[in-house]
Amino acid sequence: MKNIFRHPEKFIAAKLIIAIGVLMVALTFIFWYAILTKQEKDIMSIALRYGGSFVHFTRESIFNSLMNVQPDETQRVLQTLGTPEGVQSVRIYDHEGKVLYNSQKNSIGEFVDKGSVACKGCHVSPEKSPALSQSVRKWSVYRNMQGVRTLQVIDAITNEPSCSTAACHAHPSNIKMLGFVEAQLSLAFLDEALLKQRLALSAYVVMFVLATSLSLGIIIYKIVSKPVSELVQGMEKVASGNLEHSVAIKSVDEMGVLAQTFNAMIRDLKMARDQRERWTQTLEAEIAKKTEEIQRTHVNLMQTEKLASLGRMAAGVAHEINNPLTGVVTFAHLLKKRFPSESEESQDLNIIIEQADRCSKIIKNLLTFARATPTEKGKVSINDVLNRTIFMVQNQEKFHHIKFNINLEEYPFVIVGDSSQFQQIFLNMFINAADAMNERGRISVATRKTTENGKPYVEIEFTDEGCGIREEDMPKLFEPFFTTKPVGKGTGLGLSVSHGIVKHLGGYIKVKSTVGKGTSFFVRLPLNEEGK
Amino acid sequence: MKRILVIDDEPIVRTSCMRALQYEGYEVMLAGSGNEGLDMLNKGSFELVLLDLKMPDMDGMEVLMKIKEQWPGTKVVMITGYSTVETAVQALRLGAYNFVEKPFTPDTLLSAVREVMENSGSRPKE
Repeated sequence: MKNIFRHPEKFIAAKLIIAIGVLMVALTFIFWYAILTKQEKDIMSIALRYGGSFVHFTRESIFNSLMNVQPDETQRVLQTLGTPEGVQSVRIYDHEGKVLYNSQKNSIGEFVDKGSVACKGCHVSPEKSPALSQSVRKWSVYRNMQGVRTLQVIDAITNEPSCSTAACHAHPSNIKMLGFVEAQLSLAFLDEALLKQRLALSAYVVMFVLATSLSLGIIIYKIVSKPVSELVQGMEKVASGNLEHSVAIKSVDEMGVLAQTFNAMIRDLKMARDQRERWTQTLEAEIAKKTEEIQRTHVNLMQTEKLASLGRMAAGVAHEINNPLTGVVTFAHLLKKRFPSESEESQDLNIIIEQADRCSKIIKNLLTFARATPTEKGKVSINDVLNRTIFMVQNQEKFHHIKFNINLEEYPFVIVGDSSQFQQIFLNMFINAADAMNERGRISVATRKTTENGKPYVEIEFTDEGCGIREEDMPKLFEPFFTTKPVGKGTGLGLSVSHGIVKHLGGYIKVKSTVGKGTSFFVRLPLNEEGK
Repeated sequence: MKRILVIDDEPIVRTSCMRALQYEGYEVMLAGSGNEGLDMLNKGSFELVLLDLKMPDMDGMEVLMKIKEQWPGTKVVMITGYSTVETAVQALRLGAYNFVEKPFTPDTLLSAVREVMENSGSRPKE
């Protein structure tokens, strides 16, 4: 409240209060002045009426004494009439202005001032000529020596028939004016009353103005200033980003509507911001997901690249090793022929031959791994290759105690690739399954069509009832040379070769395994639908 | 006396072949490259050529083609470091009699050689 008047140009309430206050003070002043003026006028007219009555009464009181020419009596009556408080003097003077009687006695015989209303009331300029003015004025107000306002009322004593025909014959009948009765009445009482009233009125007006201004100020502050400043504060808070804020104005007027609209606006803003934040979060999550995907792809790519270069190196090494290995095998055999078959030398040479043979096997697998890229491309039916591979392995000793559960979907799963590579993958799966089950149990093979990201895929499932894969081995499953098989039995290249081929064809291998219960491998390959 | 020519860039492979075959009484000549082998074929006739598939200056396939061109009667058995279906099929199509995979044992080599010698003219059944 205080600071709104320090910078009134900044506040609506201050402007309103100042405008209304100024207007009220001006109007009240005009009203006050009008009442005072009217009151004074009314009081003066009442005073004049009483003054007139008094003079009239005086004239009637002295009528008889004048008629009977009893100057002492006249003087006595006047003195009596001059006694009440407020009557300053009562005089009688003739037309020439000579004072004949006076309640104050002192100025008898003196002449009335020609400038006084006694003369000027009728004559235009009594000093120069007896010419009469248009209007007759019988009273005047002046301030006497003591500074008291005094009402001077004059009445004429005209020459009446009773005067001219009186026994004394004092006045010839041609004279109109015989003299004047003049009363000087003090207005001190009236002025005092008037002053009191004036003061009271002024006090009332000031009180009224103050009270009205104060209540108006409070009302305006309550109705305008407070809600406006609340709105302004609210807007500042919102502008600084706090969208939880709402303006608490409950009124139903425009201010209330404004506040409600403002609150609704904040709600909308908040909703928009929340939505934007949600979007941002979704977008961030999406970006994080994509980034992870890219990283994964990158890692895979690195892995593939690593495998490829490893494959090239392996192929080179394998070739080079084959030559010395040929020498080792040949000369071991030749040497063996020189000893009897049961001799210690022959036994030792057998070990050399066996180990060279083992080297040879490792090299063969390495070379297979190195040849992960397709060589003879063509349309390959997955179901056909599966059936062929199953038929092939069923005739192998390794699979004699294994039952096959085949459930292939009747659909032409056609993929462009090298059939020998598919055979290699499937063979690998079967060998792994057989090894996991110690060559006894059931292998389930199934194909089914699936869709991924709107693209058709074939899913080939290989499920065994084997020992399962330990959780810690899962990440290393497709790494080359990783194996859980006994030394000399597995090279650790089967799955990594399969993975390389499947990857090359745009597919992937999924694994589900429970230790002690079995493992399921799912090979997913994209289908060439137009090529079926 | 059956004469056999071994063409291989690796001395140990050449020596291994020679020792394994000499043991069985074959006359064995050795060549370290395709060109050297072709020279020796020019100088004297051979019943059988053991030919390495992968050699630095002249490829085994190329040598095979030249041998089949000039000496159609000479049998060729390929020695390969790794046998893939396609290289084997290609070699057989070009006229090779058979192929032996490295590392071979003296017995494997001898059985392949004997097969050629015994069925002179006709290919063994596949």
